[in-house]
Amino acid sequence: MQKPSKFLVWLSTFIFCFLFWLLLTWSVAARELILGGIVSAVVAAFSGRFLIHHQAFYLYNPVRLVILIFYCAIIFLWEVIKANLSMAKLVLSPKLKYEAGIIRVPGSEKIKSEYGLAMVSNCITLTPGTITMDVAEDEDGKNYYYVHWINVAESDREKAGEAIKGRMERWIGRIWK
Amino acid sequence: MIELLIAAIICVVLNLFLLFRIFRGPTAADRMCAADALDLVSALALVLYSLYTGRAIYLDIALVVALLGFVGTVFVARYLEGRL
Amino acid sequence: MRIAIDILLGLGVFFILVGVLGVNRMPDVFGRLQASTCIATMGTISIVIAGILYAIANAGETVTYVKLAVLLLLVMGTNPISNHALCKAAYKMGVKPSKELAIDDYKEDDPE
Repeated sequence: MQKPSKFLVWLSTFIFCFLFWLLLTWSVAARELILGGIVSAVVAAFSGRFLIHHQAFYLYNPVRLVILIFYCAIIFLWEVIKANLSMAKLVLSPKLKYEAGIIRVPGSEKIKSEYGLAMVSNCITLTPGTITMDVAEDEDGKNYYYVHWINVAESDREKAGEAIKGRMERWIGRIWK
Repeated sequence: MIELLIAAIICVVLNLFLLFRIFRGPTAADRMCAADALDLVSALALVLYSLYTGRAIYLDIALVVALLGFVGTVFVARYLEGRL
Repeated sequence: MRIAIDILLGLGVFFILVGVLGVNRMPDVFGRLQASTCIATMGTISIVIAGILYAIANAGETVTYVKLAVLLLLVMGTNPISNHALCKAAYKMGVKPSKELAIDDYKEDDPE
């Protein structure tokens, strides 16, 4: 995989920063636009090389954006609601009995890029009851997540991975490589 | 609408319990965890109060409070881990 | 509309209460971190959606709900990072869990 040229990296970061500026100020007066352009250009020049390593315009693709919004609005929200209800049941029960453990969960082979790994581990952390502690790669290039799980229901690692992140990972695999 | 104000007051009262955990917590990680939660809850209380009074400036303050809480927590965590 | 806003506000306050109770009741750091995620997910989501509905119902300015959406996006983006960093720091610091862990793969493999 070849590295993108510096100008493309700068342009992609610039577009992202400028959209964020528009969201924050929410006005199209000429003064605001010019100031936002200058600030975004400076920020993109400094921080572009930390953000983009592979393909500069990977996410600016309508199909991926639509899948991303659908995933965030429906599938992820449903998982979060389920996990929240079980967490509420645990906290409000008078005995407070649980069995915690740190389990090594194999990741899927499709997701290799750093953005994909980061998104899977962030989604695992955002569902109450599981926190990703580390992501490690073994010799064959397979990725493992170390997950702190508050109520260890499965000691088999494959099945535990399916229970923790099965659906979310399948959907993220359609967005990121 | 009075419900917004009631919810904001409940948020502030719950913050007192978090303060109790900050004073009590046995280790530094406990304290930082409670402080992170306190940041979030006070940001939410600011959001509700801004909707109640209709002044947009509190929304900006809530944004800044949420972001600064994140930055502070990450710095303290890096320091506790021994990598700063 | 008003009833929907009330239900969402009640839901948000209830989950904030669950998070605060969890932070106070759990016996060790890891449990506290898990419980405080409740505040960042359901509490924030319901209160922000209630705020957006309120702004739409009262014909507020567009700025209001755009800023609420940005707040939701930022909280959901940044909270897992700080939780992960704190959890790892507590483990590396040597905080003992209140009970013996059922499985501890992290100690066996010891990455890095």
